[in-house]
Amino acid sequence: MSGPGPGPGPGPGPGARAGARRLGTVHAEWTKLRTLTSTWWLLSAVVGLTVAAGVAVSGSLTAGACPVPAECHEDTVRIGLTGIWLGQGAVIVLAVLAVSGEYGTGTIRAALAAEPRRLRLLAAKALVVGALTAAAGAAAVAGALLAGRRVLAADGFPLPALTEGPVLRAAAGTVLYLVLTALLALGAGAALRDTATAVTAVLAVCYLLPLLAGLVSEPEWQERLLRLAPSTAGLAVQATANLDGLPIGPWPGLAVLTAWTAAALAAGAAVLCTRDV
Amino acid sequence: MTLPETRDRDRDRDRDRDRAGAGPASPPAARDGFPQLLHAEWTKLRTVPRWGLTLLGGIALTVLISFFSAAGSSVEIADQDRPPVPAGREGQQLVDSVGFAHRALHGDGSITARVSGPAGVEPEQAPEWAKAGLLIRESLTPGADYAALMVTAGHGVRMQSEFARDVPGSAAASPDTPHWLRLTRTGSTVTGYESADGEEWSEVGTVRLADAPEELSVGLFVGSPDITRMERAFGNVTVGQLGSSATADFDEVSIEGGVTARDWRHTDIGGVSPSAGDPGEFRRSGSVFTLTGSGDIGPAPTDTDLAATALNGSQLGLVLIAAVGVLFITAEYRRGMIRTTFTAGPRRGRVLAAKAVVIGAVAFAAGLVAALVSFLLAMPVLRDNGHVPPMFPELALGDAAVLRAVLGTGLLLALIAVLALGLGALTRSTAVSITAVVVVFVLPLILVSTLPLELSQWLQRLTPMAGFAVQQTLPRYGHVERLCLPENACYPQGPWTGLTTLLLYTAAVLALAAWRLRKRDA
Repeated sequence: MSGPGPGPGPGPGPGARAGARRLGTVHAEWTKLRTLTSTWWLLSAVVGLTVAAGVAVSGSLTAGACPVPAECHEDTVRIGLTGIWLGQGAVIVLAVLAVSGEYGTGTIRAALAAEPRRLRLLAAKALVVGALTAAAGAAAVAGALLAGRRVLAADGFPLPALTEGPVLRAAAGTVLYLVLTALLALGAGAALRDTATAVTAVLAVCYLLPLLAGLVSEPEWQERLLRLAPSTAGLAVQATANLDGLPIGPWPGLAVLTAWTAAALAAGAAVLCTRDV
Repeated sequence: MTLPETRDRDRDRDRDRDRAGAGPASPPAARDGFPQLLHAEWTKLRTVPRWGLTLLGGIALTVLISFFSAAGSSVEIADQDRPPVPAGREGQQLVDSVGFAHRALHGDGSITARVSGPAGVEPEQAPEWAKAGLLIRESLTPGADYAALMVTAGHGVRMQSEFARDVPGSAAASPDTPHWLRLTRTGSTVTGYESADGEEWSEVGTVRLADAPEELSVGLFVGSPDITRMERAFGNVTVGQLGSSATADFDEVSIEGGVTARDWRHTDIGGVSPSAGDPGEFRRSGSVFTLTGSGDIGPAPTDTDLAATALNGSQLGLVLIAAVGVLFITAEYRRGMIRTTFTAGPRRGRVLAAKAVVIGAVAFAAGLVAALVSFLLAMPVLRDNGHVPPMFPELALGDAAVLRAVLGTGLLLALIAVLALGLGALTRSTAVSITAVVVVFVLPLILVSTLPLELSQWLQRLTPMAGFAVQQTLPRYGHVERLCLPENACYPQGPWTGLTTLLLYTAAVLALAAWRLRKRDA
């Protein structure tokens, strides 16, 4: 995690001052998030939950699932990264609170007085939240993959090398997935403003849509839902085997999530720019 | 979405409520009573329109999802050429196909034999419930009433009847050592005896035959149930039934009573089962009878739990109801109202208890309404889509299992709401609490169909999602192997065990929250 540049200094020219000011907004957001203890709790939860769940799930692969570990059909990389389903919950809380928390306490008025260009404020928040999520996500993914490999190797599973294309795609894609989910939640927070409403809405999109896909009995609709829900589509990027069996390919899946994120951010920006605070 | 005006109005109302709560008009002594606390909390819940709307939304979501998932369902009949399935007295689906060597018995009498087996033919390792023994049937038609006494490959001596009844005898009896069995018929009563040596006999059980006609078929039988093969990977499940067959030797066979002159005959009850392929065999050399057979006599449980399907919208509806449970306390923390509440009722544990009772009762009512409406709307749709007897049970709201599922759904949602309240009191954060509830309840429901089976079943047993087990209505039989997959909303534990697991979680979180409330400043 690298902190952004120094705060606004006495700049010589107007261009430099504008640049410094942009950095100033980012710095202010960084300070806000940094000084909340909840931020660090939530980020530790992202790493801790993802790694712990990954180890637990990898460990469970031993017993009944594969008669012969060497012929296991399971996608070990994907299974080791299952914990991301838990970790994303903490990411959602962090990102929603980064905006809605300010509405709850009223500091949004001070924030906008300091940075009247509202889009810039949203961009600064997105940058800081995105960077923090990326850092925590990278740690979580690395931890889950390495710990999961240790568990699986001990049981004699054949493991793909970490440098293989699909494994790298799964690892980098999962970090991207977390960042995009964070930005989706941030956009929803800006659009809905109320913590309870925004959190429930994001959770509904991220968790209830996949559950709904499981309940729908018509296969056609099920497939459609799995392709459209941001979490199931986005997590297709974790697959390293049996790609044909996926409802959507790894990168197109991430593109679906990106579309959701863009829509949420656009809605957040529109509400922020047009509505009174 | 809260408009600024509404928020002001909310605040005004809060202020009014504060004034009313702290007002000098009411004597302070009455404030402390639990009924007053309940009344205060009920007033708070009642007067926030948004919460009422959210609860209604939870009901509507439950009903809608249940209805649409029922509307999209269809029945695929895998094997059109299969002979019509025999149906039991309540219309339930049955399996009735074993190899049977028999004679006709008039009036009272008994049959005795020494059984060596069953031993597996195909595969060599016989299924645990492969069976060989004595059988009395009212007729040779599948579905006829019977009494059977048998040695099983893995479960000792059993006496079975009415397809669902299974009485254990001595567990020590194994297929490797010969074992004596005897069935005695007196009127409509059949009594089973067993013996290890043919000298000392002990009773296993008695069976009352429904019609008990004068002439019955008595004889020897061998069955070996189908083996279920399952492959489960990448969230896809392939289930296949593999036929199996077993053989057993019978000697010292004797029938006492009115036996007709006709000699032994051999029948594969229900015809040759398509999964077994080969017909059974019956050979006699001297006094030793050798019988080979496949199939089973028992219930044929379906995978689809119709009541659970008709109620599955509650898996989504729970989120809105839990959100109200969380807000019921975190909203007070956000607005500072909690201080007024604790001034009015300084015993914080009781305040929390009052909140729990109010939100629990309201969520129970909401859940019950949602479950009732869901069931009543979804059942006819499921029936129209082909979920009819004998493949599926005919379910009515009055059935004990259905009542348990519907009432249980109300209890389930009440417990979830109280758990959410406890989490709210514990964390004081709306966002964290709502997320925790969703992650704890919804995430396992998503993941159980993709994780390895063993882990999924542990999640079903140990996480709070266990509460959903209460929606199961399919009967469980100890004497029939049944594939219990999370995909089919089948839980490894019983309905009440599951709900108790959730109850323990709720109690623990609430106790922790009460303890923290007392320790921490408001």
